[in-house]
Amino acid sequence: MKPRSAPFLLAALLAVLPLGAQATVKAQVIPVGPLFAEDPAIQKVIAPLAEEIKASFGQPLVNAPQGVFRGRRGEENLLGYWVADVMRLAAQGAIGAPVRFAITNSGGLRSNLRAGQLKVGDIFELMPFENELVVVELTGAEVIQVVREGLLRRGGEPSSGVLVKVEGTAEKAVLTVTWEDGKPIDPAATVRVATSDYLYAGGDSIPTLKKGRKAVTTGITLRQMLLDECAALAKARKDLLPPPAGRFTVPVPILEAIRDKKLSTL
Amino acid sequence: MERRTFLASLAAASAAGSLPLRAEATPAGGRITLLHTNDTHSRIEPFGPGNGAISGLGGVARRATLVKHLRAQLGPVLLLDAGDTFQGTPYFNRYKGRLDYQLMRMVGYDAGTLGNHDFDNGVGLLLEAMVAMETLEHANPPFPFVNCNFDCKGAPELAKRVRPYIVREFPGVRVGITGVGVAFAGLVDPKNHAGITWKDPYESLKPMVKRLREVEKVDLVVVLSHLGHNNQGGSAPCDLLLPGQVAGIDAIIGGHSHTFLDAPVRLPQAQGETLVFQVGFGGVNLGRMDFAVTKGAVRAASGAAIPMVG
Repeated sequence: MKPRSAPFLLAALLAVLPLGAQATVKAQVIPVGPLFAEDPAIQKVIAPLAEEIKASFGQPLVNAPQGVFRGRRGEENLLGYWVADVMRLAAQGAIGAPVRFAITNSGGLRSNLRAGQLKVGDIFELMPFENELVVVELTGAEVIQVVREGLLRRGGEPSSGVLVKVEGTAEKAVLTVTWEDGKPIDPAATVRVATSDYLYAGGDSIPTLKKGRKAVTTGITLRQMLLDECAALAKARKDLLPPPAGRFTVPVPILEAIRDKKLSTL
Repeated sequence: MERRTFLASLAAASAAGSLPLRAEATPAGGRITLLHTNDTHSRIEPFGPGNGAISGLGGVARRATLVKHLRAQLGPVLLLDAGDTFQGTPYFNRYKGRLDYQLMRMVGYDAGTLGNHDFDNGVGLLLEAMVAMETLEHANPPFPFVNCNFDCKGAPELAKRVRPYIVREFPGVRVGITGVGVAFAGLVDPKNHAGITWKDPYESLKPMVKRLREVEKVDLVVVLSHLGHNNQGGSAPCDLLLPGQVAGIDAIIGGHSHTFLDAPVRLPQAQGETLVFQVGFGGVNLGRMDFAVTKGAVRAASGAAIPMVG
């Protein structure tokens, strides 16, 4: 604490507490300084562990000059798009076949990636869970339904492989989902979809994902997948850049209706 | 930082100032202070820079100092946690919750409850963390977990450690503490809560509160709740609706929704009132509620969040 704060605190306490004698006031002020200091016994336990954590999690990964962010309400979740893109690519690599669609949950992304040199620990903070990448088969109609359920629950869960547009008003909202190249989705076609074991098991209320057939559990955690992607970018001397916006177009009044649980169908 | 320190001290001091500093136990009454956290999410160290308004706040070692200070100042104090101790920083990935629970014992927690994230690595690793806390060599006793709406029959080792309620006796005040947890559906992978069934928290609490009042003869009923503060018009049970469903609760120490409150919400009841509090997440704030009890009834109550500044 800086030297001039002590008299300041003394004055503050004198003003607030109905304490009469000067001696009593002094007795009250003394503990205020160390009140928020760190407990030495606890600090002694933490310090060596913090060093261990720092040593392993402080290792540099890749440069992210703009950072990658989840976006505030009304903004697109570019960090989620990046994770979904990496999931789709990693799934294709794992099963050796095209994967048309990937979806993750915004609630599972626990931290933004701030601009600058990313470290291993940053990916752990973004994705602390032990969730695993899963590939399932869905019909085109089910893919659209998955997108719809994500929209109704949270205003859209981060996806890869599709373009999503909501038009109209909160009273009469119209949803259009196409493949990322703008081509229509054949409702009867069977496609491969990447997601997490958490969502596939029914987490975060996207029930249609549970209908996924021929599930392949890849054994790759989402976190390891992201760590590998960062390492691959660094090895190729590339920066980590956010994917372009424009994947989800949802008017603000409809987002607000979703938030206020006033939109039940889409 | 100076201003923050001042504000924090002011919060701590004024909460203390609203009731006499020392507990004065009489045969018919006494005082108790509840200190509490929720959703600490493995935030062992304070939040680093770049975290907006919460940058630099929190940290277990700092919390330990404040708790020690308030215990020395106040006497009858219970330190409680409303769940989701696990998940959030590399400390959890590395130490799987063992460190979190061990540090809670070192800080002197009296009881905790279970949140959805405490099941993130399954029942096996949750148990390992509990055992690591119990077997630690430390002057503080191990702390129990309270919950009354998880049926743990299929997980006997966990059932041994999760009690429906506990009672703590202080001069002139008997305190009953129970807990409730949020539904697993959509939050916890079924394989991670194998053997444990979620039951309706309102229906589970009713007989528990009745027992605490009528059999255990407690003066103060405290619920550690990991249901969330407000379900915003939905159908899920939540802290703000709980007092209307279950009579006889004096204090709800909430969690799950990471709701930052500066002071408890006071909900008047047919008899007395229920204080509903929650202090954000990550150990950014320490919650404090003070109760003065006379002849089994709360005579005065107050509370405030204390920012954990360095």
